[in-house]
Amino acid sequence: MSDYSIWVLEYCYVPNYHKSGVLYGAHNEGYVKLPYCYVVIKGRDHVAMVDVGYNDKEYGKTLGDRFGVENWRDPKEVLAEVGLTPEDVDTVFVTHAHFDHFGNVEDFPNATFYIQEREISKWVWAMSLPDRMRWMMIAVDPGDIVRGVDLARDKRLVTVDGAMEDVLPGIDLHAAPDSHTWGSMWVTVRNDGKAQSSDTWVLAGDLVYQFDNLTNDGAVVDVEEMYTPVGLAVGSQANLILATEEMMSQVGYESRRVIPIHEERLNDTFPSRISKEGLRITEICLADGAGSKVS
Amino acid sequence: MTEQKHLFTRLAQSHKPDCMLSLAGPEPAIVPRPEELARTLGSDTVARYAEACRPVYEDLRRIIGQISGLAILARVAGHRNLSDLPELKRCEERALATSERLFALAAPPGAESHKRQLEAAFDFSRRAMRTFSSLVPSASAEEKLGEAEVAIKRAYAHLSAATAPRAGLEMVDFSHACCCGVHADPAPKDGKNGGKHV
Repeated sequence: MSDYSIWVLEYCYVPNYHKSGVLYGAHNEGYVKLPYCYVVIKGRDHVAMVDVGYNDKEYGKTLGDRFGVENWRDPKEVLAEVGLTPEDVDTVFVTHAHFDHFGNVEDFPNATFYIQEREISKWVWAMSLPDRMRWMMIAVDPGDIVRGVDLARDKRLVTVDGAMEDVLPGIDLHAAPDSHTWGSMWVTVRNDGKAQSSDTWVLAGDLVYQFDNLTNDGAVVDVEEMYTPVGLAVGSQANLILATEEMMSQVGYESRRVIPIHEERLNDTFPSRISKEGLRITEICLADGAGSKVS
Repeated sequence: MTEQKHLFTRLAQSHKPDCMLSLAGPEPAIVPRPEELARTLGSDTVARYAEACRPVYEDLRRIIGQISGLAILARVAGHRNLSDLPELKRCEERALATSERLFALAAPPGAESHKRQLEAAFDFSRRAMRTFSSLVPSASAEEKLGEAEVAIKRAYAHLSAATAPRAGLEMVDFSHACCCGVHADPAPKDGKNGGKHV
């Protein structure tokens, strides 16, 4: 029995991103394509998303251009590929406040947004630091926080302090403080609805960029494989590794069940297709009775 | 104009209390960026003004981001006593430095309307900060917080108006923030919007 269908939808990409940004310590190893994606979870009378991407205007566009983003598409176009509209979305889990994850809340008028309280409070702290410490504000658009004010006033923003079970039936949130960002979190879908699930998916946000973060060559420390953190952390690499271990333990160490949204090779593992706009749609799983959107 | 028509106009232009245009002051209106003006006019003076504006943009962006975060924490996480927070104090220090930078900015002919937008962004940010400084858990805290939130939105609208990438070509959409849902008109060439509803 599967309660939810899950799709990873690409909405733009960076054609040449330095590999060391993806994989800690991978210096002078060239460039990789970095897709920017969000996740749709549909089932149990809900349409939820993990992150909402960014809006390609104002300062969001400035940041997108700075990161070399190409082929940005509106969520209306992107969600239509799985037969949905932004208005259908009732719940959004914001894994962290970087512009490419939290930068388009206004396009989802009926959604309630969940974010870690620490993610907000620590960004406020980081913004208060002198300019010479500006690195700690990398990839944050203060305009996104401004838009959060409206959400909060309208009771559409929920701040979470740590883990939260059954936010939607069978869907849990887990915190990874001081890792990729101050208050990053990941989303766990227990797709059979059981407390001890044998059908668990982890939607990792930016705690894992690509499969290599889960199963990198471990020759340097005389093991076959090892976790290797992502290249960007305002917290610590140790905290990223600890979060990775917890995610992997939730899926019984079956690494394909930890979904990295910046992974170009998702289509090697899951059924996928390319839209007419040249963006990838990946089907992680289907709810009972749901039809495929990629075949 | 008949009395009835006057009444209609007044009612049509009344804003809800949570609408950013409910606050008195210059309205956010897109103005030409000084970088573009400098190119168009071939003016070194305007180019120098454009360069001097950069740190002010950054200061304002940081200040507005910070007070937005504080507003969110006050609203959803129950942190109503903000006055003692070191983050608010640092924000006020940055605001002080920004006011000095703004004061020192000499807007050359053609850029006055741009500077007015920056000043308005600063003034509304300060208004929100003052509210936070006096915000203590009380019966009126909710109302005060609401006022600060409106001031923040207004400050950001002015900053967006002053930094719109292609003034006159790309609209900054203020309709989300205005209760009347009317799109902004691009500013006329003299930079004044003639009191038009945006």
